[in-house]
Amino acid sequence: MALKIGIDVGGTFTDFVVTRDGAEPAIFKSLSTPSDPSIAVVNGLTDIAAAQNPPLTLEAFAPTIDTIVHGTTVTTNATLTHTGAKSALLTTEGVRDALEMRRGIREEQYNNRYANVTPLVPRFLRAGIKGRLDRAGREVTPLDLDEVREAIALFKQEKVAAVSICFMNSFANPAHEQAAAELVKREMPDAYLSVSTDLLPSIRFYERISTTALNSYVGPKLNHYLDQLVGRLKGIGFKGLLLIMQSNGGVITPQLAREKAALTLLSGPAGGPGAGLFYVRPHGQDKCIITDMGGTSFEASVAVGSPMIKNDGEIARHKIALPMLDIHTIGAGGGSIGWLDEGGLLRMGPQSAGADPGPACYGKGGTLPTTTDANVVLGYLAPDYFAGGRMKLDLAAARRAIETHIARPMGLTVEEAAAGMYRVACNNMAQGVREVTIKRGFDPREFPYIPAGGAGPIHSCLICEELEIPFQIVPRESSVLCAFGMLMSELKHDFVRTFVSRLDAIDWPRLTAMIDEMSAEGARQLTEERIPESRRRHDIKFDCRYIKQYHEVSFLVPRKAVAGGDIGAIARAFHDEHNRLYGYSLEQENAPIEIINVRVQSIGQTDKPAYREEAWSGTDAATALKGRRSVYLPETKAFREVPIYDGHKLRFGNRVEGPSMIEEETTAVFVSSNFDGVIDSLGSFVLYRKGREELVKSGLCKEATPA
Amino acid sequence: MKIDPILLSVYARTFKSITDEMSISMEQTTRSPILCEAKDYVTGLYDGEGNMLEQTENLPILAFSLAPVCKYIKDYFGDDLHPGDVIFHNDVFSLGNQNNDVAVYKPIFLGGKLVAWTAVKGHQADIGGNVRGGYNPNAVEVWQEALRIPPVKVVEKGKLRKDVWNLIFANIRLDIVQHDMKAEMGACTVGERRLLELLDKYGLESYEAHKQALFEATRKMMEAEIAKIPNGRYSGEGYVYYDGRHVGSKFTIRVDIEVKDKSIKFDYSRTDAQTNGFVNGTFTSSASATILTLLQMVNPDIPHNEGMVQPIEIVIPEGTILNAAYPKATTFGNHLCPPNADAIQRALAPVMPDRVTAGWNNLLCSLTTGTDPENNEQYVDIGFMGLKGGSGAMQGMDGYDHIGMIDASGGVLDQDYEMFEQQTPHTLVKHELLPDSAGAGEWRGGLGVETIFEIGSDDTQLVTFGDGDFEPAFGLFGGGEGGLNFIRLNYPDGQTVVPKNKDLITGVPKGTVYHQVASGGGGYGNPKKRDRKLLCEEVRNGVVSKEAAMHDYGMTEAELAQ
Repeated sequence: MALKIGIDVGGTFTDFVVTRDGAEPAIFKSLSTPSDPSIAVVNGLTDIAAAQNPPLTLEAFAPTIDTIVHGTTVTTNATLTHTGAKSALLTTEGVRDALEMRRGIREEQYNNRYANVTPLVPRFLRAGIKGRLDRAGREVTPLDLDEVREAIALFKQEKVAAVSICFMNSFANPAHEQAAAELVKREMPDAYLSVSTDLLPSIRFYERISTTALNSYVGPKLNHYLDQLVGRLKGIGFKGLLLIMQSNGGVITPQLAREKAALTLLSGPAGGPGAGLFYVRPHGQDKCIITDMGGTSFEASVAVGSPMIKNDGEIARHKIALPMLDIHTIGAGGGSIGWLDEGGLLRMGPQSAGADPGPACYGKGGTLPTTTDANVVLGYLAPDYFAGGRMKLDLAAARRAIETHIARPMGLTVEEAAAGMYRVACNNMAQGVREVTIKRGFDPREFPYIPAGGAGPIHSCLICEELEIPFQIVPRESSVLCAFGMLMSELKHDFVRTFVSRLDAIDWPRLTAMIDEMSAEGARQLTEERIPESRRRHDIKFDCRYIKQYHEVSFLVPRKAVAGGDIGAIARAFHDEHNRLYGYSLEQENAPIEIINVRVQSIGQTDKPAYREEAWSGTDAATALKGRRSVYLPETKAFREVPIYDGHKLRFGNRVEGPSMIEEETTAVFVSSNFDGVIDSLGSFVLYRKGREELVKSGLCKEATPA
Repeated sequence: MKIDPILLSVYARTFKSITDEMSISMEQTTRSPILCEAKDYVTGLYDGEGNMLEQTENLPILAFSLAPVCKYIKDYFGDDLHPGDVIFHNDVFSLGNQNNDVAVYKPIFLGGKLVAWTAVKGHQADIGGNVRGGYNPNAVEVWQEALRIPPVKVVEKGKLRKDVWNLIFANIRLDIVQHDMKAEMGACTVGERRLLELLDKYGLESYEAHKQALFEATRKMMEAEIAKIPNGRYSGEGYVYYDGRHVGSKFTIRVDIEVKDKSIKFDYSRTDAQTNGFVNGTFTSSASATILTLLQMVNPDIPHNEGMVQPIEIVIPEGTILNAAYPKATTFGNHLCPPNADAIQRALAPVMPDRVTAGWNNLLCSLTTGTDPENNEQYVDIGFMGLKGGSGAMQGMDGYDHIGMIDASGGVLDQDYEMFEQQTPHTLVKHELLPDSAGAGEWRGGLGVETIFEIGSDDTQLVTFGDGDFEPAFGLFGGGEGGLNFIRLNYPDGQTVVPKNKDLITGVPKGTVYHQVASGGGGYGNPKKRDRKLLCEEVRNGVVSKEAAMHDYGMTEAELAQ
């Protein structure tokens, strides 16, 4: 009976999912404690201990926990709020401003009041050092160690907490960086050190220097936090395995997270996409769209077999070239404020009322109309059953805010205005989904849609309408999907080397050696993490492009193709991926292809919680019916009384017809007139477009249940 | 039909996402670095009449020729437009902005009725003419610059016209231009599909009514912005140095801006006559310059559609340097934007001091071509990293460092240093912010950059085009001037060659050191009033020298010592 807990620290709440083999997962939430997030972790564990049967003290409970998987926003927040470590940079003479200039971009072209971002390292702490390698890594000028020493003296005098090292062309030869690193380690043993070729030995100077500087910037903070967390967990008697969620959707040990802190920059939301796949599998699917609607932001991503990864992410306008999940974030959430622009057009967000003062209906002093306020007016949120009734919503305040700021200026009724806000918010979110589907070469209509976040399933029918998606799955854990997903994650280690070569002129011994070296490094780390060989995998990826193209396409290469030197198979895989992404390939023209980078991802399978499948309970949902309420139906633009179901009482096989509402303590689901619903074997609420029952592969009848 | 105010927002947002999607399609599929790295293209959506519905303007100087040409093409073909047609256009004497900026237009039909157009215009790597790449400083007529493409159907009713296609590309040097024009066509198709989905959902009647309402709403936004400018007539000048053929030549752009309530008129009638070289604008390149400069002074959230441009009137008589008469050469025309913008900023500064900026650094650009001795491959490199100077400061806001010319405003990116060394045989020696290059002021100009690299091929060819080496970016309200641009070549034999700002230099030997400065923008307000703490930081960071801090900003030794 392995006991596992997924913990996701958010801005307002810290989410917990507790799983025991064979038991239904339990959900807990505690208020976040931003000054030391580990306090909320312990508070939540105390609540969980007390909820055991019989209730336990924390000290009695903690030793029984086998695994804790933890997602943290410590590094994300340090970057977003510019409160990272005082750090310094050693780089090549003549290019020390690359970090600050960011290739000269200004993201808002017509906005002369749009300032550049404050650099991660101030200019006087960026030292340009003599010493030069050419494009093939050959030494042109030896590294000037005296200059390195001078710089170190300045860094010490300035009490710098972290040092980054990134030299030109080091991807082809790390010798200069290693030599400088030795000096820094000797002279500044307490400083946090990031060496570009240890983190990311691949070509593109700006991406590498930015990633390295980010690592140094957030490293000391993450170390401090992990000290606190590990200390507290030890203090309460936790003896199990602690794993940290990383941006690529995998987990790592705290020790690795300390060294490569930048791997955690997207730690918080990274659990979601993997969790999505778990819920679609009973329906014979291996892909899905996962969205997470929070208070301020809406996150969308796609998984096809595994979550989609990108190698050119960005955080707070700084480039980060470590592989991370391709999660698109827009400023749309429950707290998004509705406003009228100068032309009188209704807009929603990106400004948010956040958690404090929050939406007007929270009654905490907010007076501006938000998405949540519209949801209350439209009947989607019951004022008496928000957070299971623990928080009362003020309908009159919501109406007042909408009346004042939207309805009256537009000459609409409050209900019409609220309906408009709801619709514009849904449209914004649908555009966000387009970013990760259509713009990445995927047709959203072919993907099950998974709405997470407490308010996500209120908006999902209209979003699906907009995108013509016929099939949605709302997991029971949808309000804590990321925490749940953390428990589903594998250990993952990414490696990359630059290997510039035409595909038809590969130096095979060199390439194979490079791949073996990366795989061995992955195996070493997995050994340290006590993963037996039978549960390891090393996937190979190439970044290729047609000669003269500027952007590479990253694709999976079968180990067999590398071992056999099968250029044809590799080329075909590239043409196929290029075609999928951009709608054409140059296979017919036989256009030459070149490799830029070679990647290895080492994966160690972790133990997953065994999820109990529910027993078939028949189609009748009558026992779960708890009443009727008037809600707004977008299709007819009118209010109508619809059945309200208690989600906790709905069981495998139960069917509900749209329009209706399903309510749980932490989630509300609006089933629009165009959808019907059924509960599947995992207990998820499955919504399908009326008449499209064939999409549902689990739940319609007992026989259809997968083995 | 009754306007649904909510649906109106949905239309506006969807139009924008369509042109954004077309833009991403271009970025991902094109081969020329001018397109995929520098994003020198615009994507747009127009109604059946050719009115702008929305545009994604990566390089705005191309942007405001698309709608006028769309209307021209519609009249040109009349009732001979059909589903499946694809039309090419670049002709500067039928409203094109620059020969190299070749556009694709695709008419969109619903139930047999022409209801919209998608269009993409991008700067192609070659367009025929005398000089590879199109910049021919010696040209005096259009035929010495480019192949003219008046509206022509390359695809008719869905069938590629092979003969027309081959005629065009038989006159263009590089194969990648064919690929990149296909990418433009692909992006138009992407936009067409999305618009048809939208029309399918809401119907033609709703679309027609709501787009009119959208134009109205946008026009009101623009009018409200113009109404903030006091009524009156305001005049300003900007200067152009050297026409590529007559050393010492100088030309003046004169604008008279008339603001009357909710409308604004830019009258260039007093501007100097056209040159007898390639330093001439076309009506649409000059009008684009005017509009993009104005757009930087108003609410950046105004949607880009027909309503936005309705309150703006632009008068540029034919035969002036901003609107050359047939058959003059005009390839340099896009780069007349900086002095045009200068004239507008100078004119409006007294009446909208909180909206204008001081002068921006003017573009000075170079292009090197040669053969890489290590792999015997030909390379072409546009020196994006070297050309990006600083922007002008404004009230309450320093200029933006290393942003580049005002007509791109930070939309054109540096090459990555390591990719630069992979794709050329050159070795980068320096690319850093240039201290003291920006004009001093209570708010200082954006800093410029210094670029040095060692040329790695023999017999290298270098083309320069630009300005900013005679007149620096101007300061405003007591702010100082920025520095001057230059490009210098230090040959291995000790000889120094300074190319003119529009020049063609051949036979540059390996080992030559290329040295360029793109200087800073102008400052705003009295430098003595600049925040001392900020200045101390800038001195410490070495972007303002101690000497400049004392001399230009009036810092004392004591203040600096703190």
